[in-house]
Amino acid sequence: MGGGGRASFLLLVAPALLLTLAFYFVPLAQVLWISVTEPNPGLENYALLATSASIGRMLLTTARICVATTMVTLLLGYCVAFALTRATPSLRRVMMIGVLLPLWVSVLVRSFAWMTLLRREGLINDALLASGLIQQPLALIWNELGVVIGMVHIMLPYAILPMAVQMRQIDPALTAAARGMGASGFGAFYRVFLPLSLPGLLGAGVLVFIFSLGFYVTPVLLGGGRTLMIAEYISIQIVEVLRWGTGTMLATTLILAIFALLAMLSRAIDLRGLFGAK
Amino acid sequence: MTRTALTRRHLLGAAAATGLAGALPRSPRAAVPDVVLCNWGGDAVPAFTQAFVGPYEKATGGKLIIDPSGPSNGKVRAMVEAHHVTWDLCDSGVSGIGELGPRGLLEPIDYSIVDKSKILPAFGYEFGVVNYMFSSVLAWDTKVVTTRPSPADFFDLKKFPGKRMIRKDSQAMLELALIADGVPMDKLYPLDVDRALRKIGAIKSEILFWDTGAQSQTLLRSGEVSMGWLWNTRANLLKRDTKGRIDWSFAGGLLQPGLWTVPKGNPAGKQAMVAIAAMQAPAGQIDLLRAMGNGPANPAAAPPGDLTDIDPGSPANLAVQAKIDAAWYQAHGSEALKAFLDVISS
Repeated sequence: MGGGGRASFLLLVAPALLLTLAFYFVPLAQVLWISVTEPNPGLENYALLATSASIGRMLLTTARICVATTMVTLLLGYCVAFALTRATPSLRRVMMIGVLLPLWVSVLVRSFAWMTLLRREGLINDALLASGLIQQPLALIWNELGVVIGMVHIMLPYAILPMAVQMRQIDPALTAAARGMGASGFGAFYRVFLPLSLPGLLGAGVLVFIFSLGFYVTPVLLGGGRTLMIAEYISIQIVEVLRWGTGTMLATTLILAIFALLAMLSRAIDLRGLFGAK
Repeated sequence: MTRTALTRRHLLGAAAATGLAGALPRSPRAAVPDVVLCNWGGDAVPAFTQAFVGPYEKATGGKLIIDPSGPSNGKVRAMVEAHHVTWDLCDSGVSGIGELGPRGLLEPIDYSIVDKSKILPAFGYEFGVVNYMFSSVLAWDTKVVTTRPSPADFFDLKKFPGKRMIRKDSQAMLELALIADGVPMDKLYPLDVDRALRKIGAIKSEILFWDTGAQSQTLLRSGEVSMGWLWNTRANLLKRDTKGRIDWSFAGGLLQPGLWTVPKGNPAGKQAMVAIAAMQAPAGQIDLLRAMGNGPANPAAAPPGDLTDIDPGSPANLAVQAKIDAAWYQAHGSEALKAFLDVISS
């Protein structure tokens, strides 16, 4: 790119950059500022991370749910992504619609749909009871299981798409060659395809985990009120009890944790490739 | 605002409150600043419009605008601290004055304009004055709970099986737990938070916690829970919608005031107090009871017979309920909420 090209490039980027600075980084700096000044200047809010039992428990709940969501999403998403890469082009188009369609349905609507399916007198329990498979309704919702089910559903496209993109870059000739040299179908997959698809798996995993950390609506609606995750905890601090120092401290901690995860990810794999910037 | 303007509004307010506004020379419309009232949206918008907007405009010649965006404590604080206040009146409550008042984020209620004789004395506070009454009550599904339950039955999972439902908030839930545990209704305060939380904690795996009023209705209507603590307004709608399958009672409930609060530095100044005074007229408050089930704040409001049963503040219903103590919440509210959330989420 020549000198003139770079200048026009900067001009094109400038409006978005200025907007981001004004409407994203300035408020973010304010959040950081409040977290070290309220109620007193210093790091007392950050000390709560170590000293407050309720914050510790809430962070543990958040981590547990996000890890579970990420594992299940990756497992299910990997299968779909694998099937997508093997499908004929016309079938792949249909499958892509299936993957993308839920993205356009609001999180709220999807949560209510899960309620209809999972609740005590919901479709699944009614069907299982009627078939005699169970005697008592299963506790599928109003607990962490319900939250994970709802979150996995929302996260799946975010796992499938990057994995599918990455898998399509794997040369099919490689597994064919492995088969040709005597590997079983599973052996070829396990020893050739899986290692090659690991960067996509890892990238999708970090992406899903980061998105999961910020979930608010799904845990509130499907958790029965007992599943307190970080986003809701922050909201209570800011909106209800006006402990902005604690709320902004947690928000800052969350952002730092996400940056740390992204930094780790970028050392392991090529982020630009994963997110389609290349 | 000039001193003379204030005096004239003051006079108008007093006139509006006594119903004499029509007898005074009407000021030019532009001279009366618009009053923006922020409430929680939904059915409350048409109900407030019918109950308050028309009567206020007729009485004062000013304009009352309803903003349904929800005056949460956090939004009020952000507005006041940014010196960009757009609301004059907020449909708030005990936790609103408890958190915002001591931080200097609210205007004190001007009781020379707002008439203290038109409210129950217990519900006129420095930074908030009652606008309507509501209660936290016990409701039950008559399919499971076939006899009228006592407050203590809420915790008796053997007598009445099925899940229970309470609000995800310490306010009123602590009181109802203590009443169920046998604490006399006039000896609730200071609240024994530990005792209440032990009571709730003992059956918490059987409790679902609701966040919004709509959620409380859904959980009972769909049979997810057999008993629940919710607002009388919602219980009333449920009974009507289910043709009596869900029943409820004020007995052992907690009477709470909805409060008007005025954010510090509100744009319309004292006109907000004038609007509060105008809304103390009984007729509009009875309209609100009919539309939503919110009880009149003015003891002089005499709802017609069919509405007294659902009026949380009627003498008969008052007699079987406890009354909230806002002073306790001002001192202990946020600590109690934290302890409550700790217990339910652990």
